[in-house]
Amino acid sequence: MSALPFSTSRAPTVEAPFRLDRIWRYRELLRSLIIRNLKVKYQRSLLGFVWTLLNPLLTVGILVLVFSHVVRISLPDYWAFVLSGYFVWNCILQTLNTGTYIFAEHSRLTRSVSFPSEILVFSAAGSRLLEFLAEIVLILALLVAFRHHHIPASFALLPVLLVIQVLLVIGLALPIATLSVFYYDVQHALPIALTTLFYLSPVFYPAQMVPEAARSIYFLNPIAGLLTLYHETLYAGHMPSPTLLVGMLAGAFLVYLLGYGIFSRYASVFPEIA
Amino acid sequence: MAFSLATPAFSPKSPDRARAAAVELRGVSKRFYYYEHRTSSLREWFIRRVLQRPLNIRRAEFTLRNLNLRVAPGESVALIGSNGSGKSTALRLIAGIYQASSGTIKTQGRLTAVIELGAGFHPELTGADNVSLYAAVLGIGRRELSSRYEEIVDFAQTREFMDTPLKYYSSGMEARLAFAVAVCLQPDVLLLDEVLAVGDQLFRERCLSRLREYHASGGTLILVSHEIDQVRELCSRAVWLEHGVIRMDGEVGAVLTAYSANDPSQNHRGAR
Repeated sequence: MSALPFSTSRAPTVEAPFRLDRIWRYRELLRSLIIRNLKVKYQRSLLGFVWTLLNPLLTVGILVLVFSHVVRISLPDYWAFVLSGYFVWNCILQTLNTGTYIFAEHSRLTRSVSFPSEILVFSAAGSRLLEFLAEIVLILALLVAFRHHHIPASFALLPVLLVIQVLLVIGLALPIATLSVFYYDVQHALPIALTTLFYLSPVFYPAQMVPEAARSIYFLNPIAGLLTLYHETLYAGHMPSPTLLVGMLAGAFLVYLLGYGIFSRYASVFPEIA
Repeated sequence: MAFSLATPAFSPKSPDRARAAAVELRGVSKRFYYYEHRTSSLREWFIRRVLQRPLNIRRAEFTLRNLNLRVAPGESVALIGSNGSGKSTALRLIAGIYQASSGTIKTQGRLTAVIELGAGFHPELTGADNVSLYAAVLGIGRRELSSRYEEIVDFAQTREFMDTPLKYYSSGMEARLAFAVAVCLQPDVLLLDEVLAVGDQLFRERCLSRLREYHASGGTLILVSHEIDQVRELCSRAVWLEHGVIRMDGEVGAVLTAYSANDPSQNHRGAR
């Protein structure tokens, strides 16, 4: 952090980075912003949610086509495998991209009203997550109808996976948004980083295909762990290993705390800069 | 000279807190770093940190220096001064938007700052949606808003347009709606930064009478304005800022006379 060529004008008040009480006090604003995000996106669109589904579905289609007929990955119901991971990836990708411009977009607001500005990141993650919930319901229905033919018990684990996903997304989006306030370079660098991460995460191939020797490094990427959890609970329909589940919960919480900490360090100067 | 000359008025809204100041600034300084690399890049970081060459990235400048200001509940205070004297910065510090570089700031009760009218407005949303969004931005809950909604719409006189997206509003209508939300939500302390220049003559008259009403019912008002007549009409006390320090603080007539006698154009400095 000290590498950044700026500092806050005084030592920041180090509050607990887990400031849910602040968020709770501004829950009305969070709710309003989430509703606003969704309204602005959907109110003048006839097909609305269809567009939100179409893009990732098309990608899933292409991935399935290429990796089951050209580069052959032999997994039973390969479409179900891609489907249970790709939408998670898509949700993370879009939220992180929003982080690069969210404070610039709301600079009038942060300059004229005092409120915890992390609410903006929370609201972006929140509205995207609501869309994700609608998507996942559809995916579950498809998986039950065409793959499992019954509802696997592991589906009950979904809320835990969502918690991990929220912690990870916010924990990554906050420092990205913070850095974007100071450097416009982030907008250019992030897509490159995310493209790299796409290939380093088990989106179109299972993590088991990664060589044993490289796996400990491979799983340093928290998204790899999250996607593996989704594959096991949704696609395979069995309980994931408790080690992975608990490890991911702890890891995601750590990412959240770190991300929030970085944000808190610099948040007080946003109104002067963004 | 730094402290209030006016006797503290008693607020009928909070008699128990009448002795505590509504707003109190003690030794407040604000130093800005001018980020000249604001739109720039990692290149400069590289030059500084990796090549270890000096690069004049920022310079710091005091915008406010050792400001002491005590505003009693129910007082109406105007901040005057030429451009760049630190009025808006002082208001943003009181509102908690900026953090002071040193000193302490205390406020009592609910504070609403109107620095830019309609800062939370979104052009694609309807007037009604924008009212609830702006209220949420100002920290007002849904229940409280619904009890004030009619009053807001009446005051803004935009009733037939409440279901129309804001982008079809005229700029005057938009400003009226924003101002209506801010004043109808009954803050204990209201901060206004040159936002009284909105709407037509008639609406401005109604704004002024609304503010007088607010003040009469015990509300505290801190106003930044360049319009001498407005200041004289609304405020009993004026604080004259110059180059970030208080030049004069006292009864509105005396301060305005001294301020007008001093040619304000000679003090022009950059914006902030």
